[in-house]
Amino acid sequence: MDNTFVVNIIHRPEMVPEYAEKVTGQGKAEDIGRKALLTESLDIFKFQQETAHKNGLKVTIQMTYASLFNDEACELAKKDHEQYGDEIALSLLGLPCKEFREKYKTKDFCIWMFSMEDKKSIVDDVFGKFYDRFGFYPESTGSYYMDAELTNYIKEKYPMVKCAVATCWEEGPKAYHTCNNSWYTLFDGGPWNPWIPSKQNTHAPAANEAEDSGIVAIPHLSRDLLACYDGNGSNFGTHPQNVLRGMIYDTKTWEYPYLYNLIDQYRYLAKFNNGYSYNMMFVGPGWLNKMGRWEQPYELLKKSYEDGMAYYGELKKKGELIDMTMAEFADFYRKNKSYEEPECALWKDILYGSDKQLFWYADPYMRACVNMDQGGAVVDLRPYASKIKWEVGIGTKHVQDASYPFLIQEKYRAGYFTHYAGEGTVRSAKVSYNGEEVDLCLCRTHATFSQEGKKRILTLDPVEIEFYDLTVKIGTRIIFEEGSSNIQHERTILEMSNPDAEVEINEYIVACYGTTEYPEDMTGITLGVIGDNGEKTINYEYKCRDEKLEGASDAFAVIPAIDTKVSLSTDSKEGLGYIEEGYAFSPMFKLGYKKHISDKEVIKTWLNLEKAN
Amino acid sequence: MAQSGKGKLNYRCPLCFMRDLDIDMFYDKDKKEYYCLRCQYTGDEADVLAKNEIIRIKYGRMYDRITDFD
Ligand SMILES: [Zn+2]
Repeated sequence: MDNTFVVNIIHRPEMVPEYAEKVTGQGKAEDIGRKALLTESLDIFKFQQETAHKNGLKVTIQMTYASLFNDEACELAKKDHEQYGDEIALSLLGLPCKEFREKYKTKDFCIWMFSMEDKKSIVDDVFGKFYDRFGFYPESTGSYYMDAELTNYIKEKYPMVKCAVATCWEEGPKAYHTCNNSWYTLFDGGPWNPWIPSKQNTHAPAANEAEDSGIVAIPHLSRDLLACYDGNGSNFGTHPQNVLRGMIYDTKTWEYPYLYNLIDQYRYLAKFNNGYSYNMMFVGPGWLNKMGRWEQPYELLKKSYEDGMAYYGELKKKGELIDMTMAEFADFYRKNKSYEEPECALWKDILYGSDKQLFWYADPYMRACVNMDQGGAVVDLRPYASKIKWEVGIGTKHVQDASYPFLIQEKYRAGYFTHYAGEGTVRSAKVSYNGEEVDLCLCRTHATFSQEGKKRILTLDPVEIEFYDLTVKIGTRIIFEEGSSNIQHERTILEMSNPDAEVEINEYIVACYGTTEYPEDMTGITLGVIGDNGEKTINYEYKCRDEKLEGASDAFAVIPAIDTKVSLSTDSKEGLGYIEEGYAFSPMFKLGYKKHISDKEVIKTWLNLEKAN
Repeated sequence: MAQSGKGKLNYRCPLCFMRDLDIDMFYDKDKKEYYCLRCQYTGDEADVLAKNEIIRIKYGRMYDRITDFD
């Protein structure tokens, strides 16, 4: 495909905008039926629609449950559908209204948190109400998160649904913390760009038709793949008012180049995805509040929305953007993408002024983040291969926590750096010589991306390791092969100041599992190392034990709590495989492989992910 | 002393913002100052605005229009 930048713009007429009641209603007793609130909400919707259309952009109108009770909102949607080709869709956000509260006797408003019974009944209710209003069922829906069970139910009952807003990238513990631990949108670990969710777990893309949930999922906003990873996601996305929330604008000129930089970096991702790139903008009406929002007066909120739309409009006029409705996009995606084609993003810092570079990779088997500033270490890893069944909502084990579990998460469970004792989660390598040891995590570098057939290859700029009396230049290639469910690290000794020297390379992964910063119970995990010389295992009991095996081909861990087997394997016969159990103060496990290598030698290791039951 | 309310704009605590916390401040009209419920920050509007500028030091490229993503 030639450079194709697709944009989905979504508006929802919300009769009680999130925030508006709490924020603008401060000092008043709660009353979600307030007339002023309804009028303002519709005015915001009209403004958003007009702004998009003025810039020649098509919109997906996601009707909310509340808006289905409002004649004017429904008429506006019909009119804009006829005049501009807008899609009339149905959101599962915006449930709160008098009718909903009376019927369901709850203030809950996040669809994925209801009991399965309520989910079904709410879906039937809103879909039915939508049909009554419009005479057809919607082709698109969504929420901040759509759990697999919810999507499966919708697809079964309303098979015409083909597209859904299904997650908000890295909106998990960080968003929760930013909101003074009161905003329960816990769903880290999903793709950042559209994907086809599996029937088993929304985050994990389907590997084939049998796993296909039947919808194309789009993320709620296109988020900064570096800033959101270590900060409040809601400050760094293609949502003009989120950028204002982050205070990323000039207070004197009201300019925010970051918003355009972010859009442009997303466009740049076409380079890694066969010419395709994507953006989603979905500003809820609460962000265009007449009372202003935090430090920003209404005029600035309004200007930022107009500017955002104008930028997209300008790109469209130049032929550099295609605006689609969600349903159109689902058709486009199905036509142009295959199940196993990965989503790739070599992303650089465009906000803080560092030279950091990350590579994000997602396919049906994993989501991984490689950090070039840490020598190409894998700093985040989600084992999609296991397609974990993870029901959420009232009545399940996970009422709120919908995150896909990680094996590695450097921000939550430490990466290379720990305080005083223990180890943190990371997949890296150490190089040793004469009693000195250097971790490649401390070798800052950059990568270039290339594609050879089904392989996506990151070639890192070579790094130099200086020992007391030896300098070693090491090259690293990291290879992701479609459908392989593994990550290959290939290290080459490119040069040594003493060509006859031998260094030891120690390829390793330190991992655990979890969805938050806090440790989970590691009991039940089995560690093993296996090769022609036999097999050794450890059942995890926090006893700080280790085992080694000469000539090992695999070191592995089976983690029943997340149905996952992770292993580190090699094609070399002359090394030493090892496993290390952690202890209470370092609740991790380590899998590794050590080998002596000399000048020009290459060592290959694979990190493999499998489903284990 | 009367209860506090919200000010003209809904200022967040600048010191909490620096540690990635969005905490709305309340306004004490007797002391004519905003204060944070979570940390120990208090300040008048001018001080809040000045601190909000300082917050931006973390965004080293906030004013740059970037066109090269290599
Ligand atoms: Zn504070």
